[in-house]
Amino acid sequence: MPVALRTLLIATLWVICGAGFFSRNEGPRPGFAVVPTHDKIGRLELKNPLTLRFDSAPVNPDQGLPMVHVASLAETSDGILHCVWYGGTAECHPDVKIYLAHKEQRARWTAPCAIMTREQAEHDLGRPVQALGNALLIANPDGTLRLLFVTIAMGKWSGSQLNTCLSKDGGLTWSRAERLTLSPFFNLSELVRNRPMPLLRGGWCVPIYQEFLGKFPELLWLEEHHYGLSYRKSRIAGGCTTFQPSVVPLDRATAVAVLRDYSDDRKVFRSLSEDGGATWSRPVPTSLPNPDAGVSGLLLSLSRILIAFNNSPLDRHELSLSVTGNGGLSWARPFAFEHEEEATFSYPFLMRTTDDSIGLAYTRKGREIRFVLFNEPWLENQLGPYPYKEP
Amino acid sequence: MSLRLIHQLYAGLAPWLALALLLTGRNPFPTRVRGVTSLIIALLLLQIPLGGWSLFSWIRTLEPNPSLTLSGLLVVVLWQRFRGAPLFRSEDWSVAWIAGALSALILYPIGLGLTSVDTYAWGWQPFLPIALACCATWLLILGNRFGILLVLVPLGSLLHLQESANFWDALVDPFYGALSLVMVSLMILGRARAVNASFAEQASPSGKGGG
Repeated sequence: MPVALRTLLIATLWVICGAGFFSRNEGPRPGFAVVPTHDKIGRLELKNPLTLRFDSAPVNPDQGLPMVHVASLAETSDGILHCVWYGGTAECHPDVKIYLAHKEQRARWTAPCAIMTREQAEHDLGRPVQALGNALLIANPDGTLRLLFVTIAMGKWSGSQLNTCLSKDGGLTWSRAERLTLSPFFNLSELVRNRPMPLLRGGWCVPIYQEFLGKFPELLWLEEHHYGLSYRKSRIAGGCTTFQPSVVPLDRATAVAVLRDYSDDRKVFRSLSEDGGATWSRPVPTSLPNPDAGVSGLLLSLSRILIAFNNSPLDRHELSLSVTGNGGLSWARPFAFEHEEEATFSYPFLMRTTDDSIGLAYTRKGREIRFVLFNEPWLENQLGPYPYKEP
Repeated sequence: MSLRLIHQLYAGLAPWLALALLLTGRNPFPTRVRGVTSLIIALLLLQIPLGGWSLFSWIRTLEPNPSLTLSGLLVVVLWQRFRGAPLFRSEDWSVAWIAGALSALILYPIGLGLTSVDTYAWGWQPFLPIALACCATWLLILGNRFGILLVLVPLGSLLHLQESANFWDALVDPFYGALSLVMVSLMILGRARAVNASFAEQASPSGKGGG
């Protein structure tokens, strides 16, 4: 190779790398947004501390599908709650669709409408899709709704990929779905579940997980731009023990993740980050049982953490709430608000509404998405006064 | 041209070239006409509908991001087959296989969850393209032609030819990684046999001329 050609190639290479370096968007930076109702000492100010509140209603009372599952909630700036879930004949079945319903304050849920079907996903993505799966809604500060959803290309959950689309009219119409590339091996297999966290400098930190060779928890860092979406991901832990993280930021830098267990420990696991979610401690088991089922956590006042979980190491017949005041080291005696032998209550999704209530959506007996709205005084009425006695 | 169409066109390049190469087979007398015919037949084969989707769509479902390195190597192979003139020498191919095997070993086991470190996440950081540029510069200084192909990797990434924005996907894919691991294993086996044969020759009485 002539020296002149080599020199030209090397110069070209570094010009390209320089252009790439300056045009590359690394996505949002770690650091959680402070919850708006935090006061100076890091506690939540409750607007109505003495009023007990508890409402429970089905989101899809007349849907009549053989299977509905994995509900997620989001609240837009106009105070409207949105709930998405998937439903059809069975998990990973080609007729599974993603449904959306809305709820204005003190109103009933609207009738569910299908916002994504397998055929629509195939059309948008330009390739075959075998089935749809988990979906998650993100309510952006500008009023738009972003949908993250799972498509299965082949096999079951291990053959899944994540996709996204955007709605600018409260979920009536959606942009063309696009695929997110998040895994090096044929982009298998990324799934989404649990509440996204707003970030300090804009963007979102979304709990995701992989279940291909191993099952492990990850975080997807999203940022909306005028030209589209930029993203990257990071890992909470590797291996094959815990997944489906639910992240609870305590302040800008500190967060606790509670995790579903895939090991023989049959316990809810916890992991701690002290750098805004960039790095995490090795997950360790808590005292709470886990029957290999989804959990959800939420920040309460006094820096306490609420968890919704299945209080059994064996099955999902009981859905309970518990609270920790020390980052998950010890937990209050669980309060079971759903309990029925031979029935299943699963995949809880907790969120805080703008009126300081706590919304909880979950799968009830496999055929119903149930929405429960309560507040902290109601919760303290069930669990007893803080500090709690360990069971 | 929309970015979506660019992604589709690029994703079809590697399967098209690979299929054309397979159609050529081991024909000892490849001509330019045969080469063009193989490319046309491969293009038609990719349009065959299977279950309502073209063969290309199924391949794209499996691998939507063929690496720029693999696409470049396929162009080199096809060029060599039909023009007769070798673009890559033996040492260029050796470096191509070693680079692919090393990339695959660094990326796949750890990227798929072996440890709490995620090597795949490095692909969104700026240091990976710079590390590649350093390696490519070194190869170009040495006169290794695989270095020319490595120039295409950051270029393709800059032009957003792939659906993925992760730099690893521009550098390596499972097909190139697996092929590289096989080729490097064969290289190591070949070297080991040569060393064994040399030892055996030295140890034998006739080889030493006495004993």
